[in-house]
Amino acid sequence: MKNKVCSGLLLMIVFVILLTSQSILAGVSDEVCSSCHDEVTSDFGATAHGIYFSSKSHLSDATCETCHGSGIDHIEDGNPEMIINPANSGQFGAKELCLTCHKSHKFNNWNFSAHGNADLTCADCHTVHAKVEKHVVKRSSDNCLKCHTDVRASLSMPSHHPIGEGKLECVDCHGAHGEPARLTMDNSGAELCYSCHAEKEGPFVYEHAPVMEDCMICHSPHGTIADNLLKQSEPSLCLSCHPMHFHATVVSVDGDFATPQAPERAGTSDYDSMERGFTTKCTQCHTEIHGSDLPSQATSTGGQALTR
Amino acid sequence: MKSMLKFVFVLVVLLLASSIVFAGDGPTTESYSIWIGGHYTEFSDYAKKVGEYNKGDNETLPEFALNYLSTGSNSIFRFTSHYYDNKNAFAKLQSTISDKMKLSVQYRSLLKQEGQDLLTNIEAREYLPATDALSGKMLTHDIQDPNADYNTHRQEILTKFSLLLSEKNNVRLNATHRMILKNGHEQKIASTHCFSCHLTSMSAEVNNTQHNLEVGVDADVANFNIGYQFGYRLYDPQNSKSITYYDDARHPTNGGSGGEFGPRVIYEDTEAEFSVVPKTEKMSHKVKFKRNVGQGYLAGVIGYASAENKFTSLKTNSYSSIFNYATFLDMKTKLITKVALSKFDSDSIYIDLPTFREGLADSNYVDFDFTRYSALNRTNVNLSAELIKRMNAKTTLSGLIGYDIVNRDNYPTVDDGLSTKKLYLQGKLKYRQGLSMRSSLKVRFEKISDPFVSGRGFFEEAGHGDARLEPLVPTSNWVFYFQRESLRYQDITTLPTQVLSFDWNMSYNPSMKLSATFGLKGKLDKNDDLDSLDVEHSSFIPSITVMYNPTERFSMHTGYSYNYDKSRLPITVAVFDG
Repeated sequence: MKNKVCSGLLLMIVFVILLTSQSILAGVSDEVCSSCHDEVTSDFGATAHGIYFSSKSHLSDATCETCHGSGIDHIEDGNPEMIINPANSGQFGAKELCLTCHKSHKFNNWNFSAHGNADLTCADCHTVHAKVEKHVVKRSSDNCLKCHTDVRASLSMPSHHPIGEGKLECVDCHGAHGEPARLTMDNSGAELCYSCHAEKEGPFVYEHAPVMEDCMICHSPHGTIADNLLKQSEPSLCLSCHPMHFHATVVSVDGDFATPQAPERAGTSDYDSMERGFTTKCTQCHTEIHGSDLPSQATSTGGQALTR
Repeated sequence: MKSMLKFVFVLVVLLLASSIVFAGDGPTTESYSIWIGGHYTEFSDYAKKVGEYNKGDNETLPEFALNYLSTGSNSIFRFTSHYYDNKNAFAKLQSTISDKMKLSVQYRSLLKQEGQDLLTNIEAREYLPATDALSGKMLTHDIQDPNADYNTHRQEILTKFSLLLSEKNNVRLNATHRMILKNGHEQKIASTHCFSCHLTSMSAEVNNTQHNLEVGVDADVANFNIGYQFGYRLYDPQNSKSITYYDDARHPTNGGSGGEFGPRVIYEDTEAEFSVVPKTEKMSHKVKFKRNVGQGYLAGVIGYASAENKFTSLKTNSYSSIFNYATFLDMKTKLITKVALSKFDSDSIYIDLPTFREGLADSNYVDFDFTRYSALNRTNVNLSAELIKRMNAKTTLSGLIGYDIVNRDNYPTVDDGLSTKKLYLQGKLKYRQGLSMRSSLKVRFEKISDPFVSGRGFFEEAGHGDARLEPLVPTSNWVFYFQRESLRYQDITTLPTQVLSFDWNMSYNPSMKLSATFGLKGKLDKNDDLDSLDVEHSSFIPSITVMYNPTERFSMHTGYSYNYDKSRLPITVAVFDG
């Protein structure tokens, strides 16, 4: 008898718990959400999520609460902080909610990424509730430049990759969702550059050491005042590491090119020779600055002058 | 017009193909837009390099855009395109069938305008103040095609394909192919510089193709998300050869002494090809994985790649591994650690050269043969740990420490190789006030030892009469140019040993439709470890961005950034004492 009473009490407790929990689980219906968020719910079926959900039988019952959790507290006082909102970076961990479904390799490194750890949410770049006729990703480069204002400034420099012209996009080079390495799947930053500029990769017989080291010793990829995305104009850039050799600083004037003579040569550097040197572009002669398989002419340089 | 017709033809074919593919799905919605317009560009300025991507033909051209979207019960098909002119166009086709198949094909083309260097500075004759006469060495040039319009047409076709092979383990095939074609003409300059310094400019054909292919399989196995990816890259130049005449070796001022100067050059009095870009091939293999470990995630990549120069058969092998781990220490604290290790190994090659002054009487000849060890050969190690702590509902604090090592095996000018070490520390404070305001401040400091340098880069001393330079010709005191290399003693670099940077921004959202973001970025770096030179860079970038989205269909974005950069760098002193 005692056992039966205990069993009865237990059943009642379980029944009450089930009733209570059911009301919690039921939360609020989509119709209730629509009363305030009609602009979202009315076209939800036309969003990428809506189309996908309708194609999957196990997701056909998905509601607003499938992503946003219970809306009861939010309904009670209207506080937007009282509902799970993947767009709210203030909700620690809420932004990872999207990853519960979007778990392909593409997002493997989101948790390690600069964006992931900068309080960015998926909604900062993706318009999750937009109809599919609109791009789900906000126009990508504009979207990036909204925050990366230093890049926006660089892209306005005379020499730049044509992002502003809409002919390339930031995501052509950068992995917005995080990559194992800083920019690309490979550990070498140059690999990113070679993916378009493969002619620079080699390996070459005659190397230029900074090319092997890092493209960005000489180049600034987003934009520069100097030509060819160079950090400084020639010859200043080259002269930051190399001595200016005498050919470029011959004391000279424009003029007679008659048959050469052979007077005693004793020229020394002076103001005019410096002027001559600084109006010379090193790459006028050293054309193969990224490397070459063909030797330059002089034996004494070992053929390493990158002129051919 | 021919290209335009081709473009339209491709659009029509793609649309017809899509209609067949989606016929069974029965489109539930369809929408399209067509935009027709035109433009006229006037481009008369010679300095074409400025605005290199904005070059337009000096004529009126039609322009149009076509967009189409259809959604089925489980599919999305989208087509977007924009035709600007024959050299600038864009088209993209995307189709998605549930989560089973995704296909996108994108075409885009652009014209890059190049300028022409008229080499006007390469026209000079040595002037000897002592005799007040023009004499000595000459610089001359020859422009074969002064009116050439140099430009490159770059076309890219990017195809991405993803197919769910099995739902059981989420086995998915992924493939990406990118083809880049470049056509046009560019300026090539050949230099011959023995008898007299002479540059020859000529028009050279640009005609090359690059293929990048990646094929891989991803799957969920047990608790692992694993994947394998094969990569292949081919760079294939098909342009015609550029050939020039290399003069015979003679004295630069009197035109004689061929016997003396002949052995100083590797080749002379010959026509030879120049500016040859080799065909190259690269293959890579990568294994990727991710798994949940306790409260965190472990992800990594192990890779191997091999690149080959098909012209010389030189090869480069690279090995890389990256392991990242992130975990929640408690509900408010996240730890991220990263370890990366990579090794690059490029072939060395023996360079056999003519012997300098061999066979000449009264001479000590010099053998310049050498083995070129690659400057690429190195081992890289990167370690970092970041702790992110949510202090309260409004504030998050994070700290990062990292250490990078670059250990170079061979370094062309530093005898013992060169090892660079970098320690970096970073702190970040983030503050948010609900959805209405958020702000962050990041401060980073880097300390670098032995950055990449040009070893014994300059500070050449006077050579004549220097006791350290033994004359090669005993009967004279000639000091050859190359002998002076040993007189250089100053390592030089533009790279810093200390870097301090900061990044502040604040975003204010008075409503869900309006936001304003203010920012200030700055960077100060210096290198005062060099013997007698200091290197300094500074940059400051204030900015403001305003976003206004009054309706779902209208969005306005405007911003202003100001970039201030200042560099203090060494410049070599020109020396003429050869």
